[in-house]
Amino acid sequence: MLKKIIWFGILILVVLGGLLFYQRIKFYDGKLHVVFCDVGQGDAIFIRTPKGLDILVDGGPNDNVLSCLSNHMPVWDRTIELIILTHPHTDHFFGLHEVLKRYNVLSFDSEKLDNKALGFAELIKEVKQKKIPLHYLFSGDAFKTKGGVKVEILAPTREFLAETSPNGMIGENNEFASLISLVSYGSFKLLLTGDTQADELLEAISQYSLSNLSLLQVPHHGSKTGLSFEILNLLKPKIAVISVGKNNKYGHPTPFVLDLLEKAKIKILRTDQNGEVEVISDGKTWKVN
Amino acid sequence: MTKSAFITILVFLLLFFSVRFFLFYRNQPQHQNGEYLSFETRILSSPQIFSNQQRISANLDTGERILITAPMYPQFGYGDSVRISGKLQVRVLDNKKLMLVMYFPKIEANKNGKNLLLAVTGFVRQRVTLLFEKNLPPISASLLLGIVFGIKENMPKDFTNDLRISGVLHVVAASGMNVTMVGGFLSSIFSFFLKRQYALVLSILGICFYALLAGLEPSIIRASIMGILAFLAQILGRQRLAAYSLFIAAYIMLFVSPSTLFDVGFQLSFMATLGLIVIRPIFDKNKKLKSLLNKSFVGEDVLTTVCAQASTLPILLANFGSYSFISVFINGLVLWTVPVLMTLGGIGGLLGIIFEPVGAIFLYLSLPLLLYFQKVVSVFAQVFGTFNLTNFSWQFTGGYYLMLISLVIFFLQRKQAKAD
Repeated sequence: MLKKIIWFGILILVVLGGLLFYQRIKFYDGKLHVVFCDVGQGDAIFIRTPKGLDILVDGGPNDNVLSCLSNHMPVWDRTIELIILTHPHTDHFFGLHEVLKRYNVLSFDSEKLDNKALGFAELIKEVKQKKIPLHYLFSGDAFKTKGGVKVEILAPTREFLAETSPNGMIGENNEFASLISLVSYGSFKLLLTGDTQADELLEAISQYSLSNLSLLQVPHHGSKTGLSFEILNLLKPKIAVISVGKNNKYGHPTPFVLDLLEKAKIKILRTDQNGEVEVISDGKTWKVN
Repeated sequence: MTKSAFITILVFLLLFFSVRFFLFYRNQPQHQNGEYLSFETRILSSPQIFSNQQRISANLDTGERILITAPMYPQFGYGDSVRISGKLQVRVLDNKKLMLVMYFPKIEANKNGKNLLLAVTGFVRQRVTLLFEKNLPPISASLLLGIVFGIKENMPKDFTNDLRISGVLHVVAASGMNVTMVGGFLSSIFSFFLKRQYALVLSILGICFYALLAGLEPSIIRASIMGILAFLAQILGRQRLAAYSLFIAAYIMLFVSPSTLFDVGFQLSFMATLGLIVIRPIFDKNKKLKSLLNKSFVGEDVLTTVCAQASTLPILLANFGSYSFISVFINGLVLWTVPVLMTLGGIGGLLGIIFEPVGAIFLYLSLPLLLYFQKVVSVFAQVFGTFNLTNFSWQFTGGYYLMLISLVIFFLQRKQAKAD
């Protein structure tokens, strides 16, 4: 009996060792991984840098983000170096509750807007309770990581934020600002747009004279207010990703946006149809997994 | 005890029982759709969280279960005593069962309702949940929490569904095996320092604590009563009789709360145990089969599954509307991992509360088995469908059990005849 238990123990250790070894190889491949998690109607984008730093942009409307994180991080890595919240709407922040509970988060960075919803107040309370540094981001801020991946905040400017949300509160339907960030690694360029409206996006693009993107996240889940012919013409992305839920009540993505993308001959990837979308880049080339 | 004395006691017990049932159902208020209701209850499972709301499972004064949908905040949790007032709605489910629900009622926390014991179990639950969720992938964490503590509130819906389709949902309900392991573990530890009798008393208290920790589901109450009876029998020096203890457990539970009779968890737990007690021994008489079982790795598990399923089939069909034959096979593939996972998860949980890194090591050790379990379940849930029964009649249930009983009697008598 004892002999059996010992053999069984050894077997488990061997399998566990193999598992950890496999993960060590898989998750430290020296490449940039960007994953648009399949979280339904909302956004959650996970970025793992070539050096194994973890960045999460938004948390989605539910805890689906958790399985996305655990599928793309080794089991022993329980630290997320940076969380960026593009704007405080439920479909972007709700999943962060569980993320904060289960992971060590080293920095929580958000747009400087508040939301009266109780869930958001609770989230900020949790951030403060856990003594996670809380920063507000504006156009011009940037993160440069060791491996060469850069995250630059292109919008909003303080002025634009003050103009669209004079009371510091986010609106539900009216025009509001959302963080726009450019993730770049060598020649790979990805623009993350949150729920940006076309005006803000156009202003940011012009200010930073941005063009020839690898990937564009279609703003606001494909809402008709997020994109225009002019924007696509300037950015010229190879692929457009839409993070959207099946049969959502908003009718996202709108035919207007789909039409615009098709006419510009841009390949569309949708989380409601393709599931999660993962892009891998070594700084020179990139591919969709 | 003479036969006549035994029968007299039995008749008296049944008489008490009928009086209790009669009084209970005579005074039972009939719930009307739209009726206003206000009641006090204690929450014994963590509410499930959906995007903007929490869903709380509570019990009415009559013991009937009610599902309450409330706003996200303030959040309620295990151990909270609350007064709930609102409009009752009676929903008819697909399988024609009635479900009581309340949408956004007024919920007041009862400040005087603090209970030291519940505060302790609540603390342990919270710490263990957090420990598992911080150190394991989400599905693995929820599976291990279910297996060790019967905590399944945070289990992803898809995975719960996979477990149901593959017929292994029972592993995440705390029941007989948990009690056996908790009782066995505690009594062997206590026996080191204490006199046997005291060790057994403490083990019984330990089982009660565990049952409370697991949220007092019918399956764990039944198993705990049976486990306690087994321990008591040891203290009193009596032989343990499984069938008696099962009926005593059911008697106590139904006497305290007659409406438990209609609880699916109770029905499944009772019938499955009965199946193991009555049907399982029949197979032991066949020497060829017995030696085959001893040699094979999963034979015992398969046989156990067959016995439990044979005795619960109509209940499964009536409530879940589906049954998959492949589930016997799947149970055979995964059940052997359950005691190992219980041990690793239990030790990991206990140590992890004191010092997290040590607990984490045990949780890591359980990871290969958890991943294996998940893989088997998800693969089979996708590949094999279930056989669906849309129209389910009580005649089928009656006929099925009559047939099962006659088969059991037939085999028992043949056994008897052979022995003679």
